Parts: sequence; C-alpha cells; structure tokens
Amino acid sequence: MKVGVPRALLYYKYFPLWETFFSELGAEVVLSSPTNKRILNLGTEAAENEVCLPVKIFYGHVISLKDKVDALFIPRIVSVEGGAYTCPKFLGLPDMIRALDVDLPQIISPTFNLKLGLREFYRSVYELGGFFTKNLFKIVMAFQKGLNKLDSFENLLHDGHLLNEALAGRFFPAPKGRLRIGVVGHPYNIFDQYISMNLIERLQKKGIKVLTAEMVEEEVVDKIVTGLQKKLFWTYEKDVVGAVFHWLDAKSVDGIIYVLSFACGPDSLIQILIEHEAKQQGFSVPIMPIVIDEHSGEAGLVTRLEAFVDMMSRKVGSEKS
Amino acid sequence: MIGYLGVDVGSVSTNLVVIDEKTNVVAYIYRRTMGEPIRAVQEGLRELKELLPLGIEIGGAGTTGSARYLSGVIVGADVVKNEITAHAVAASHIVPDVRTVLEIGGQDSKIIILREGVAVDFAMNTVCAAGTGSFLDHQAERIGIPIEEFGAYALKSQAPAQIAGRCTVFAESDMIHKQQMGYHAEDIIYGLCQSLVRNYLNNIAKGKELLSPIVFQGGVAANLGIKKAFEEALETRVIIPKYFNVMGAIGAALLAKERVENKPETSFKGFSTSDIDFKTSSFYCKGCSNNCEILKIEVGKEVLARWGGRCGKWEIE
Repeated sequence: MKVGVPRALLYYKYFPLWETFFSELGAEVVLSSPTNKRILNLGTEAAENEVCLPVKIFYGHVISLKDKVDALFIPRIVSVEGGAYTCPKFLGLPDMIRALDVDLPQIISPTFNLKLGLREFYRSVYELGGFFTKNLFKIVMAFQKGLNKLDSFENLLHDGHLLNEALAGRFFPAPKGRLRIGVVGHPYNIFDQYISMNLIERLQKKGIKVLTAEMVEEEVVDKIVTGLQKKLFWTYEKDVVGAVFHWLDAKSVDGIIYVLSFACGPDSLIQILIEHEAKQQGFSVPIMPIVIDEHSGEAGLVTRLEAFVDMMSRKVGSEKS
Repeated sequence: MIGYLGVDVGSVSTNLVVIDEKTNVVAYIYRRTMGEPIRAVQEGLRELKELLPLGIEIGGAGTTGSARYLSGVIVGADVVKNEITAHAVAASHIVPDVRTVLEIGGQDSKIIILREGVAVDFAMNTVCAAGTGSFLDHQAERIGIPIEEFGAYALKSQAPAQIAGRCTVFAESDMIHKQQMGYHAEDIIYGLCQSLVRNYLNNIAKGKELLSPIVFQGGVAANLGIKKAFEEALETRVIIPKYFNVMGAIGAALLAKERVENKPETSFKGFSTSDIDFKTSSFYCKGCSNNCEILKIEVGKEVLARWGGRCGKWEIE
C-alpha cells in the first residue's frame, strides 16, 4: 500500500516518526516533491481564500500527490501535550481536504489528542496501525521504533543542526562568521525553501550562524514560559517564545528574525507578545518580522535581509572599534 | 584628490554623487530615470564628469536603489547596497544619533527606525502610491500651481481644509468640492499636505515608535508644507538634511569609501563606461517547474551578469 505524505505543515515536525511507523508496517511512504511554483498554484487555486499560505501549500501538496498513492495520511493533531493545543487549522485539516471538489484517494486521519490522556492517544495509534495489520504487537513495535527515530532526529536538532539537514541526514559545517541570528517561526515556513525564499541559505551565504527554535530543548522552553504573565496554550508558538527569551537571556544571538505567514492568527499575537515582552524586560536585540504570503516578492525579502544584516554588522563593528 | 562615487537608481530619479575624502559633497546630479536605468546612469555620469573639478580621481564606487545590481554592473561598483542601508548610513552620518528616518520619494515612501545606530525596523509602501511625490505632483497640476511653489503656498494657510488623503481619486473630488465652496488655494494645499502626512503615518509608520531626532529626506522633503505637517503631527522638530534628495547616493558613496579601505583598488570602470553599449535580454529557465525568468546583461558577446533564478545555476561570479 502506498501512503502519501504531503511535504508540508507537520511533516517538518514528525516525519521521521511517520516514515518509520509506516515502513515498519509494510507500507510504502510516498512524499510529495519540495514546494515549487506548480504546487503553490495548485494550492492557492483550490484552498479557501482565508487560510494562511502554508495551509494553501498543504492543499497543493495533497493535489500533486493524490493520483500517485492509495491513501493520504492527514492526521488530525489536536494536542501534543497536556494543557495546550495546536493551531485551529490543524484541527480541521482532514475536513478541509475532504471538502475539496476533486477525486481523492482514501484519507487516513486519526485524531491525536493528548489532552484526553495517553490511553486515548494509543487508541489512535492502534486505529492507525489497523489500516495495515491486525497484529497489535507489530503496531506497538513499529510505533516504538518511530518514537526512537523521532528522538534521535530531535537530538540532532538540540545539538545545533538545522532541521532540513537533520531530515535529509546530510550535514554541512556552519559558517564561521561572528554574527549569530535566531530565525524563529513555524518550521513549515522557515524550512520550506520555496515559502521562505531560501532565507536560511541567504543568511549563511553572508557568513551568519543561524539558530532556530528547534535547537532549544523542551525543558528550557517550559522553564522560560512559566515566567510569562499568561500561559501560552499553543504548543508550537510556545516553542517560539521560549526560544526567543532563552537566546535573549543567554545573549546568544545578535538579532532575531521572526518569519510569520500572513493570516496566521497565532503568529499575529505571538509577534506582538514577543516585542512587548522584550521591551519590558529591557532587551535591545533587534527583532525583525518578515511577513510572507503567496504574493511576496523576492526583492522585498532580499532588501530587508540585506539591510538587517548590514546594520548588525555595522553595530558589531562599531562596538569593536 | 580622491573622490567616491555613489549612484542611486530608483523608479523615478537617478542620482549620482561624488564625495571627497572628508565626506563633503563635491558634485551631484539629480535626474529622471524615465524607465531607462542604463541610459540614466550613463548620461548621469557624463553630466557629473562635467561638474567635477580637474584632477579628481574616483577611488571607489557604490550603487543602491531598486536598480542597484544593474547599475553596479554598469559603473563597476565596489559595493552594491540596498536603499535602506544607504539611506540609514547617510542619515546617521549627518545626524549621528538619528532614531527615525522618514523618506518620501517619487513613487515610494519608507520609514527606517534606528536604535543605537542599528536599523531595527523599516517599512515601505506596497501597492498604493497615495502618500508619495507623484500624488503631490498630480494634485499640484490640478490646482495649477507649480510643485516648486507648493510649500510656500502651504505655509500661508490660516485654516487648512480637510482633504481625504487615502486615495488620489478621493482627494481630487474633495479638492474640487473645496474649491467650489470658495476655500483659498493655500488652505487646500496645506490640507493636502496634512492628508499626505496622515496617510503616511497611518500606513507606513503604523505601530512604530517615532522618536527624535527625526530626519526627513527624499525628493518630497523639498516641500516645506509637508515638513510643517509632519512637525505638527509628531509634535517635534523634523530635520531636513542639506542634500535631502540625493541621500541614497550619498549613502552609497560613504559605503564605497568604507569598502575600498580594505581593497587594493577600485572596480570603477571609469567615466568612459558611458559610451559602452550594454544589452539586456531575458528568458525563462526550463530547468524545473519554478520557471524562473532570467535576465542577462551583455556587452558584445560577453555576458556581464545574469540574475532572477531561485537556484544558483545562472549566476556569474
């Protein structure tokens, strides 16, 4: 059985787990190609107008993949930790795709909701495994192997490797420059080279060491966010806030770039929260928001990045002299 | 004497500046781009050469503006910088502790927020040109007052008229209405200045903290009515630098001067580059489904530069 996984959204978080799990159960995993102009156009034509760019791109991946597979894996990921949720769009993702006016293969969409406890969570795992085998032991083993794989993937990130390198298993030495920039935002925006217009590579070419939120361990994030005025109830955004204030506290970055997608509800709140909180705590590290949508031109990004990097190098240069 | 050349090619104007070693402006040219950036640079260089004192030698060249890469190839730039850096460098050179730069040009307007010498935030207008020079140009024509006298008229206003500034179409019908009602020209003109400033502050400067010192530059800074409207709206003094309309080019020249300090010799091709026949052409790359449009610049059979691709395939180093 060929299971299609769209190379979008939570692929960037959990693909090592999914791939291992499906292969262990004898399925063939088919991944859509990296985002390109065609996928973007397919997505923007098919998607609801109000959704954010990464969700539109998810649609594009689904459509580009639908005729090549027997089933599409589109889980409904509601909550991945107690007391917090994921983005509302993830909750409705399988329904949004089913509502499309195109012929689709079977959609495998188990619900994962850790707020309901581990028992319910594993019930979903068995349900998902049940598509491929009736052997419960095999499902448990496959899931365990998947978790181990996810663990080693996350360890690579915590060791300072970039997510795209860890996913591909190919590593390149980090640039040796003095400047360090923290790039935060959703991994499906930052590490989709088409959406982010090669943001990270552009920075690296300028000799900048890039840090991302995935490199900061969960315990560190949790410790940081307990100091905030209000509890953050979106897991993925919490990671962003935690990383930013960890870097600010540790003085480990010279500047921060926040990549937001236009029409992203959580991003729009978190950006203001970060700016406000950083100001209140008296940090002066420059934070530059970059908002992207399907109409974003490269010229605008290039000009902003150049200006940001120039100004930081000038600042570091003047402090030195 | 050694001079440093700065070239700023924007959508409306092409500006060239030569500064000396003490960063004083020796000569400058402000001319229209007229949609032909290559010609504008070549003719600008020719005119600039006439203005330069004898015996000056160009020791470094820098380009900026939306045609910075193109003009960089043509003049042989030591440094090619974005217009935000160039404007920020020029402003902070002239007013070292500047914290806000308001820049309004012919078709774009931007704001640069600096803190401790670092541009921490900036914004540019997107699709609407309602808050820019061409908007004022158009309205000046409508009222029949030359744009050069606009500022002087605006300052005479006692009771400015309320003009809708969010769009030229609304502004125009508002202005006709006010004229028919019998308002004085100066009150309408200053009302227009206030509406432009309101538009700028609401759209471009939205959510930003505008702290003094504030520097106002770009072609529109010539208009004293706009300066006054900014000062009233922001309740603080606004500084207009002497060479406000060529600040981008000054920034590029300053950056060029800085760059050649660490460089054995300049890449500047000399003023004779004005006579070279540069050819540009474009094609679609069929390498992948991105179908990037690639642009190339040639002299004779030699390809000087290619750009536009998402991958590095067509780049020439």
